[in-house]
Amino acid sequence: MTNLKCCPFNKSFEIKKNLLVAFVLVLGISSPARAGGISLPDTLQIHGFASQGYIHTSDNNFYGSSQNGSFDFTELGLNASFRPFSGLQLSAQILSRRAGKGDEGDIRLDYGLVDYRFYSNEAMRAGIRIGRIKNPFGLYNDTRDVAFTRPSILLPQSIYFDRARNPALSSEGVHLYGDRQFAFGDLYLQIGAAYPMVEDIETERAFLINDQAGRLDGKLSYIGRIVFEQDGGRIRLGLSGAWVKMDYAPGTADPVGAGTIRFSPLIFSAQYNAESWSLTSEYALRRIEIKNLGAIPDREQTGESVYFQGTYRITPILEALVRYDILYQDRGDRNGDNFSLQSGLPGHLLYSKDWTVGLRWDIMEALMFRIEYHSVDGTAWLPLLDNPDLSSTERYWDLFSILLSYRF
Amino acid sequence: MASVTHAQEVVVHPTVLQEQISRNTLRAIFSKRLQNWPDGTAVTVFVLSDRSPLHIAFCKQILNVFPYQLRRAWDRLVYSGTGQSPIEVDTEEEMRKRIANTPGAIGYLPTIGQNDELKVLPVQ
Repeated sequence: MTNLKCCPFNKSFEIKKNLLVAFVLVLGISSPARAGGISLPDTLQIHGFASQGYIHTSDNNFYGSSQNGSFDFTELGLNASFRPFSGLQLSAQILSRRAGKGDEGDIRLDYGLVDYRFYSNEAMRAGIRIGRIKNPFGLYNDTRDVAFTRPSILLPQSIYFDRARNPALSSEGVHLYGDRQFAFGDLYLQIGAAYPMVEDIETERAFLINDQAGRLDGKLSYIGRIVFEQDGGRIRLGLSGAWVKMDYAPGTADPVGAGTIRFSPLIFSAQYNAESWSLTSEYALRRIEIKNLGAIPDREQTGESVYFQGTYRITPILEALVRYDILYQDRGDRNGDNFSLQSGLPGHLLYSKDWTVGLRWDIMEALMFRIEYHSVDGTAWLPLLDNPDLSSTERYWDLFSILLSYRF
Repeated sequence: MASVTHAQEVVVHPTVLQEQISRNTLRAIFSKRLQNWPDGTAVTVFVLSDRSPLHIAFCKQILNVFPYQLRRAWDRLVYSGTGQSPIEVDTEEEMRKRIANTPGAIGYLPTIGQNDELKVLPVQ
């Protein structure tokens, strides 16, 4: 249910989820077991993926009742792209995701866009995209629901938190993009003006404490990313930023007023890729300004996130991961002491420090198995809907997960 | 396996007008960013599987990237709707045939020497 409110396209995509499962399976099985997808004419491609995870937590809930072990984590996707003539591409992807109470498997349009490349030569390309477009954010956001493209089962939650994730996924608008080769490396740029998707309950709770009577409306917002790559991607440096605006439209007899929320995250990304290992780090600042919301006091706060991640390819099919990931919801109140005094809730709701180790086994090019362990201090990225009573959350907790993923 | 340092050549359809190609341009083509030849013809890229020794050697020795980097780049395009992946073929023979039959095609093969069906593109 939760997601249905969020996207205007959803109604038309309320096909039974089973249909998507069937599609993914049928297309997957009918294609050769390799990662190349199905090639029909050379200009039409169909790809998809299916992932099933298992999550067990020592305390607190992450994706379902995970304290008893939860299989409530499924990701299914199917996409098609078509290039009717050189320079033009039409693409769309539908997605079904089950992840606890925050995501219950409704089929939605992940992206649906027209991409026209109006300039192209050997050293430089430029184009425009119109439609529902994945938000270009950090190193992983563009394909965050595709397990094969993630470094771990769960993305570093400090930056790619899955609570209140809808605004991060995609937005509807126009993007301009380009890339250019210089002697010192390649530069990629993408900027866009779009309407964010903020009309779901989790997002409302994340910004407005509770599910209020009225609703959030996404206003015209801006997003951009610049990436520099040297040596075909051996070194990657990125800067992403967004300026997101949403208004609150009060319901009837609503103590919350018609105010405004501005959300402006900034991410610095760095990655080094050697043959058998990669080092990755991202640092983010997330500024939130809440104004004129009546019963909810005005607030300005900046969240801060950083992670350091190393992956080592032990053999071509086996990869190990270690990561330390830190999130502060309010860098002016890192330990949550003020928050605790004012709300009576535990201060550890405002931070999370997560040590992660994991192993990826590429059984075949199209089939991957993963196992992962998190030792966490703090609860800042616990899904709100899976943990209705925040006062009873545990500060120190562990998370164990396995995942099997297929793609074509 | 490590013993065979495959000699490979960049191979294109004979109607491709270019006589040589730079490593940077080749990388842009194989990472699926550059989609057209200078005359406007669409480039169709053929590759072998990620685990094929010829593919690995081509990536490392000619493109100077690691195969996993190319795969990541293709995945970003494919699963965000901003591009397409190359067409994967199963054998060198299939690679040869597909390139010979597709105007604008590019791929790689073990050293073949010039012939009528295919054109070898020296890398600068």
